Amino acid sequence: MKKIATILLFFFTGTITVLAQNLSIDNVQKIVLRNTDAIKEGTEVKGYYFFYVSDKIDKHTNEYTLQITDNNLKKLKDIKFEDSKKVSILESSFNGTDLIFLFYNDDENTFEYQVYGADGTKKYSYTRSLSKKDERFLKMTYQTMGGDEENQFKGLYPVQGAGFISNTPSREDGDFTFEIDYFSSTNNKQWSYIPTEGGKRFSGDYLGSYNGIALFEVLRYSSRTDGNPDSYLIGLSMTDGKKIFEKPTDKAKNKFYPTNLFTLNDGRAVLFGEYFESDANVMKAKSLGFCFIGIDGKGDFISEKYDSWENDMAKYLDVSSKGRIDGLGYLFMQSSVQAADGSIYIIGEGFKKVASGLGIAANVLSGGAGSGLSNSKIKVTNLAIIKFDKEFNVKAATLYEKNSNNIELPEGFGWYGVIALGKVVKYNFGGFDYSYTQINKDNSSFTVCYKDYVKEKDYKGSTFNAITYNGDKFTKDVINTKSEASSSTVLPSKQGSVLMLEYFKKKKILEAHIEKLN
Amino acid sequence: MHLNNYLLSLSLLFLCFHCISQPGNQYVFQKDDSLLKAKYADAVFAKKEVVITSLGKENFIEYKKAYDESYKNIGDFLTSSRAVTSPKELYYLQSLVQLIVKANPELQQLDTRVVFSRDWWPNAYSMGDGTIAVNAGLLIYLDNEAELVYILCHELSHFYLDHTGKAIKKYVETVSDPDFQKELKRLSKQQYKVNERLKVLTKTMVFDNRRHSRSNEAEADIQGYKFMKRTGFDCSSILSALSVLDHIDDTSLYKPVAVENIFNFSDYPFKNRWIEKESAIFSSMTDNSDLTKAEKDSLKSHPDCSKRIVFLKDSIAGIKMPGKKFLVDENLFRQLKKDFYIEMSEECFHEERLSRYLYYNLQMLQAGENLSVAIPSIARCFNLMYKKQKEHAVGLSLDAEGKDFPADYNELLRMLNRIRLEEIAAINTRFCKKYEAEMAGNKVFENEMKKANAIINN
Repeated sequence: MKKIATILLFFFTGTITVLAQNLSIDNVQKIVLRNTDAIKEGTEVKGYYFFYVSDKIDKHTNEYTLQITDNNLKKLKDIKFEDSKKVSILESSFNGTDLIFLFYNDDENTFEYQVYGADGTKKYSYTRSLSKKDERFLKMTYQTMGGDEENQFKGLYPVQGAGFISNTPSREDGDFTFEIDYFSSTNNKQWSYIPTEGGKRFSGDYLGSYNGIALFEVLRYSSRTDGNPDSYLIGLSMTDGKKIFEKPTDKAKNKFYPTNLFTLNDGRAVLFGEYFESDANVMKAKSLGFCFIGIDGKGDFISEKYDSWENDMAKYLDVSSKGRIDGLGYLFMQSSVQAADGSIYIIGEGFKKVASGLGIAANVLSGGAGSGLSNSKIKVTNLAIIKFDKEFNVKAATLYEKNSNNIELPEGFGWYGVIALGKVVKYNFGGFDYSYTQINKDNSSFTVCYKDYVKEKDYKGSTFNAITYNGDKFTKDVINTKSEASSSTVLPSKQGSVLMLEYFKKKKILEAHIEKLN
Repeated sequence: MHLNNYLLSLSLLFLCFHCISQPGNQYVFQKDDSLLKAKYADAVFAKKEVVITSLGKENFIEYKKAYDESYKNIGDFLTSSRAVTSPKELYYLQSLVQLIVKANPELQQLDTRVVFSRDWWPNAYSMGDGTIAVNAGLLIYLDNEAELVYILCHELSHFYLDHTGKAIKKYVETVSDPDFQKELKRLSKQQYKVNERLKVLTKTMVFDNRRHSRSNEAEADIQGYKFMKRTGFDCSSILSALSVLDHIDDTSLYKPVAVENIFNFSDYPFKNRWIEKESAIFSSMTDNSDLTKAEKDSLKSHPDCSKRIVFLKDSIAGIKMPGKKFLVDENLFRQLKKDFYIEMSEECFHEERLSRYLYYNLQMLQAGENLSVAIPSIARCFNLMYKKQKEHAVGLSLDAEGKDFPADYNELLRMLNRIRLEEIAAINTRFCKKYEAEMAGNKVFENEMKKANAIINN
């Protein structure tokens, strides 16, 4: 109540001070930094949202505030609503005209997708009920459900000016699958698609959309223990979710596993991924290299370009065996950008499977009963940026060294193949250091950001790193992020800047300010 | 005779040439009297002790807290670089105050400390103990002494009518009120809907406070007019002063700064992407405050200037004797308006408000004014921006674009928030090279140019 008196004194006698681009909120009793995120159009940050409990209404109900600011942290709007105290925000997305927020209600076991216009008016709300099985399965993915953990999973994607696609794991009776939902932002319509036929387990990755088609890479397992799934592409109509095509990915010259969809400057749709021997198990086999596969509206492959480790990548990287790069291990594709001159840059982060002393010791001590730990662990290594020209030929590759980090694997994960392991490291353990990539409006410059931890003579602590390409060269910048804050995070900002968020628990102050990268 | 005239002419010519070759009349920054600042601070402290000693037992703690905070702010202001105690400027201001006091005997017993401040925002304020400040950011917009005198009369009225003392009293009585305390205690134990209740509680108090504030402003307007009409100054300047305040946000003393011209060099052309506007995605998102228009109006601390003008117009029209716009020193007034532009911008540098500092100096550069200050300042600003950006500490020194800023300032801010480290260095070296000849002999400039070149050569 002393605080109220101070506020009142201010009103009676105070003055106003104009501040630069920073925000300071005091009397913040509790903050979960993941409840703040950037609102992006593509990779451009257009604003931020801050989600917090602004009042307790009763034993079961909170008043929540979703505060939206512009990209200079100037408050635009407070959206207030009352709901169960067990509501948390999981994700947001912006499609150029509308915003969507995904809330999880632990009381009612629902996902609620709320769509807001750019004027802050609520347009539509879509609710998805979750079964108990769904919920347990989803908690493995959205670690933030009901907790304070950092969330790595991304399941919400914008469809420019039209709506949003949600891709989340799902349980259908005993089957593990995934659910695609499309939520329109122009009218109150949605559709869903859940693959269940022909397999007992499915996993799907949204690749992107082109010509009114939403494209997914799907793995179909014939049984729960099937270790060699079928890989295929499905194209769904954005209008009604009907399947337009289903194409196995072994129908190109080589079997491939796509991870990205580009729409090139000339409008062509091209899939990017790794390619394999024709009889390879994409989940376990080592790849032969990268591929670029052109695709049309019927899902037919209209062009193919392959860059092998052995012949093409080896000119720029020390490739010891299939896909294993010296200084990196295997490469997990984090993101990709196409520059103004048509060059494509793939940003990858390396990881290796190594023996785990802890796991081995624990298993020995358990006398064969199982310790819960695998005998192997993952070592996350360096960052790599690989450049391809307009014809998809490898032109350059650069390794960026950083300190490695180890991830102990639970029992059973040690047998996972390269691609599957990479996804586990990213989405289940949040083990990669990569943060995000931003490209400017005219594609003349992009920045790749990642975290690291250093132990040097002058500084020991966490760092935030940025590699910037400005049209003719790469430069690197490092921000030391150790501070007196109880917790802190770095979020994207306008290109060339970052948003530093710090929470001081004792003083109950949340501070945010924008800082420029060099 | 002809030869003497010839030699005399030559000498004059030589002297003139010598004058022209000097690096311009260097501006000499105001030098504050630090002893006077200390004396003022002591006086304020002594006054606080008197005030606190004279407090009764009732609500003593709350009063003491309020006065401690208030007097601390006053002391901090007076001892800071913001308060101007440079003799010439102070003497001028005191001359105006003495004129007002001489014409209004009821003011003679008041213990006042009236100073200019180097703050950039257009404001003047009475701090409650007799300290009155007129910001440089307001002075630069005034047209004559009469307008300044009205501002002084208005602020003296606040002190004369003890508005601050009454506000503190109101605050203390409010927070000490048994019903209020009871409500606070109840809220501190309440688990639910605390913020909702607090909002209602504070809303009532804020509206009440703002109503009093508007009422105080209206009272100070009337009393200020009464003081002014006895001074011999032209009272129609009251209306023009209020009109200045009414339009101040839309007024600029200089043409818009064209950064694309200033920072365009033949070997380092200006990049349009530095100032390209971003798409305003959320431009239609408005604050969804649940206040009505009437309520928003009720939150204003001052009545609208247009209403204030209307209120005083008839009284002023009734004055038969026209007054003067200047009674003390017109030349000095006009000189101070120019000087304070520089002082105000230098204070921005002192406080590391670099975007604003740069803006003011670019305005002067473009207008061809005070070049001996503006050009070195721009170089200095870029050097400091480089240093701070390298340390990832420049963000807090740069304003963010805002809809209340002029378009040219927003353009400059876009540029400053986008240019990269190497671009800062590249721009500055070329800027320095451009003005090297013109600034020959200017030690500040030469020092900054040396730093800029050292950066680029590393």
